[in-house]
Amino acid sequence: MADEAAKKTSSIKSTKTARKVRDFVRTMYMRAHQAKAEGRPVAYCMMASGYDEILLAMDITPVWTENYAGLCAAKREAEQYLVRAEADGYSNVVCGYVRTGLGFDAMRKEQGGMPAGAPDGGMPQPDLLLGSSCTCDPRYKWYQAMGRYTDAPLFCHDVVIPSVDAYYKKVTPYYIDYQVKQFRELIRWLEERTGKKMDYDKLREHVKIGDKTAMVWWEVDQLRKAIPSPMPSQDHFNIFVPGVFRFGEQPTLEFYQELYAEIKERVDHKIGVIEDEKYRLMWGGGLPPWHTMWMFNHFESMGAVFAIENAYMHWEPRHIPEGIDDPVEHIATRNYRLMTNNFEEAQKNSGDPTVEKLLKLARDYSIDGMVMHGSRSCRAMTIGQMHSNATIQKHVDLPFLGLISDIVDLRDYSEAQWRMQIDSFMETVKARKNTLRQAQGERK
Amino acid sequence: MNSKRLSHLEELYRNRSRRAQELRWKGQKVVGYFCCHPPLEIMTALDLVPYRITGDVHEPITKADSYLETIMCPFVRSSFDLAVKGRYDFLDGLVVPHTCDTIQRIYPIWTDHKNPEFSHFINVPHMLQSTSYEFYKKEMEVFVENLEKYTGKTLSTDRLAQEIALHNQNRALLRQLADLKKANPPLISGAEMTKVMTVITALPPQEAKELLKEIIKEVKERRDGPKKQPVRLLVYGCEISDSAFPELVEKSGANIVIDDLGMGTRSYWEDVAVTDDLLEGLARRYLEIRCPRTFRARSGTRRDDMENRFGHIGRFIRDFNVNGVILYIIRYCDTHEIDVPDVIEYVHDMGLPVLHIEDDYSLGTQGQLGTRIQAFLETIAQG
Repeated sequence: MADEAAKKTSSIKSTKTARKVRDFVRTMYMRAHQAKAEGRPVAYCMMASGYDEILLAMDITPVWTENYAGLCAAKREAEQYLVRAEADGYSNVVCGYVRTGLGFDAMRKEQGGMPAGAPDGGMPQPDLLLGSSCTCDPRYKWYQAMGRYTDAPLFCHDVVIPSVDAYYKKVTPYYIDYQVKQFRELIRWLEERTGKKMDYDKLREHVKIGDKTAMVWWEVDQLRKAIPSPMPSQDHFNIFVPGVFRFGEQPTLEFYQELYAEIKERVDHKIGVIEDEKYRLMWGGGLPPWHTMWMFNHFESMGAVFAIENAYMHWEPRHIPEGIDDPVEHIATRNYRLMTNNFEEAQKNSGDPTVEKLLKLARDYSIDGMVMHGSRSCRAMTIGQMHSNATIQKHVDLPFLGLISDIVDLRDYSEAQWRMQIDSFMETVKARKNTLRQAQGERK
Repeated sequence: MNSKRLSHLEELYRNRSRRAQELRWKGQKVVGYFCCHPPLEIMTALDLVPYRITGDVHEPITKADSYLETIMCPFVRSSFDLAVKGRYDFLDGLVVPHTCDTIQRIYPIWTDHKNPEFSHFINVPHMLQSTSYEFYKKEMEVFVENLEKYTGKTLSTDRLAQEIALHNQNRALLRQLADLKKANPPLISGAEMTKVMTVITALPPQEAKELLKEIIKEVKERRDGPKKQPVRLLVYGCEISDSAFPELVEKSGANIVIDDLGMGTRSYWEDVAVTDDLLEGLARRYLEIRCPRTFRARSGTRRDDMENRFGHIGRFIRDFNVNGVILYIIRYCDTHEIDVPDVIEYVHDMGLPVLHIEDDYSLGTQGQLGTRIQAFLETIAQG
């Protein structure tokens, strides 16, 4: 791949709709600054915690601090914040998002205003901090640590998920009940802090929009089974932004409807991501390397397209509850179902829900090879990748590449090493595909 | 380590799993568990032998590298490495609490590779809201049901109450032993205390109780205990289950007089309250263990928040007349790593120096650590 392309951190997008995401992001930070200027409450938030529609219904403007760290990484502006957090004593093995966020807040406090050159005008000073134990430990420890930079009140929301060998019929009712009570406690806390009562009709409306959005998004992913692939993973890592950071809003629903129309047209006219699609790959897990997204285009230069991925959402119709009128119960049930996706299948088959999902994706999307990304500072999304891959190999022969860097921190990343690993992996993918083709030819 | 009884401790320490293996040969079931969060009373009330899983700092991690990523807690990697090498083949069962991301994620990997006869995962909430206690109690009820199915026995309230009383007695004995470190010089060293903890977490509680009583008696009577050193230390951190590190510290010129560690005061400082519904008391006690993995809600000023989170460290510092603190953090332990700057600030505010060590749970760093520790202790001694 050309050196000029390598200098770019971002990937080249295939879909028109994906190119609109940058505006969504800009608007997100603009709205947060505007809310702050107008005295409306601004909350630092953790993505995928399930409280999106609750915040919308209470007119609280979220700032998704993980998104901001990713944005800084994509713009290669994160290092100054990482270094600042480390100067305050945070280890360089702590989550790259956390260090970026803490470093940013440290600099804002130190400088008495927004750090110079902060991407998208920086994050406004929060009035509220809403941590979450969903997915990983740093997501509630981060805002606790922020006590050194801000006096903003803090609520941490607990999200519990049973183990895959749990007896679901037994545990599901009290797991969901705990989530419902957690959300009610959050609402009570927000009402106290903002002096504003929850508007449950408004909440119900946002939940309806959220449900519809999830389903349109699911339909987009169904279209992606087509050969040639109409939308690659690097586009997914853009188009997930509205669905994760502006979930429950009408413009978000419209965004996915537009995306659906575009992908449908591409499928109908057999318009692929690249002209000659030879290999279909799957992003098997791990957060994307935001600092090096051009890597996806490097695969494309060898005829390989990432047809599907296992990161960020992937709603299914079975996640959406029916017949629950209470919007809080609805949200809690929906989230629980998403978090326990494929658990029952795993009990019957491989014993591992991630493996179940990956096997299904590999079948449905005609996958020739799988790539995962281990992040040095992200335990939650990295531990288990080797195990998942080993378990998958018991079921199917699927070439595997495990890349390692960090979600944000570039200091341990070697571009040359990645290129060698990718090239060698692609040789394996090609050899396997040739063998399969030969075998098919002999059978005919 | 010259007195007779403590020599016996040494022997038990060196052959930590022998008693559990003997009991297994006699027909008892041995259940391995991680951390200080699983409710041991429930296990022993059903005649199981709980055995706390540790790694081994003397054993290089070799086999686990084929199964586990290197960016995760080396204590857990070391423990799993031992399991793959067969060192834990005497365990009939496995109980894993949701202490942290790494411990949570080792559960399916361990059960898949070792396929224990019994396995159970307990979800420990991270929060301390009233609904968190309710949830944790439910988790305990399901734990009881699964254990009853496994053992074929029914948990009786009377037996559980007896076990709560027995485990509380052991906690009281450990606190009594810890109290003997208030003297100057302390009557028992930090390295010995680590051995005591490591040994008793591998014994049935009744045997642990007898051993603790004998140790306390002999520690009080012996005349060859630790020598007085210019520095009295508190050691804070995650998991120290080998005496190598405390020995290194104490040889460098300090007495470790108290700790805030998982295999330390966090396991015994608080009792289980005897409540009408016994599981309620258990849920409360085990949920409130002072590990940074449990979030304590913020209220009041920054100072109030720090006191709420680290007040117990302050009390230890005052009660045990501590004049220096070492933070021994196992690399990749996110909950401890993120708390480090706040703990340092809290201790500094008390006017005490802090040495922060980030280590990889092996002996490979001992030389380098020795130099850093000596320099730290000399600074305090000269101050």
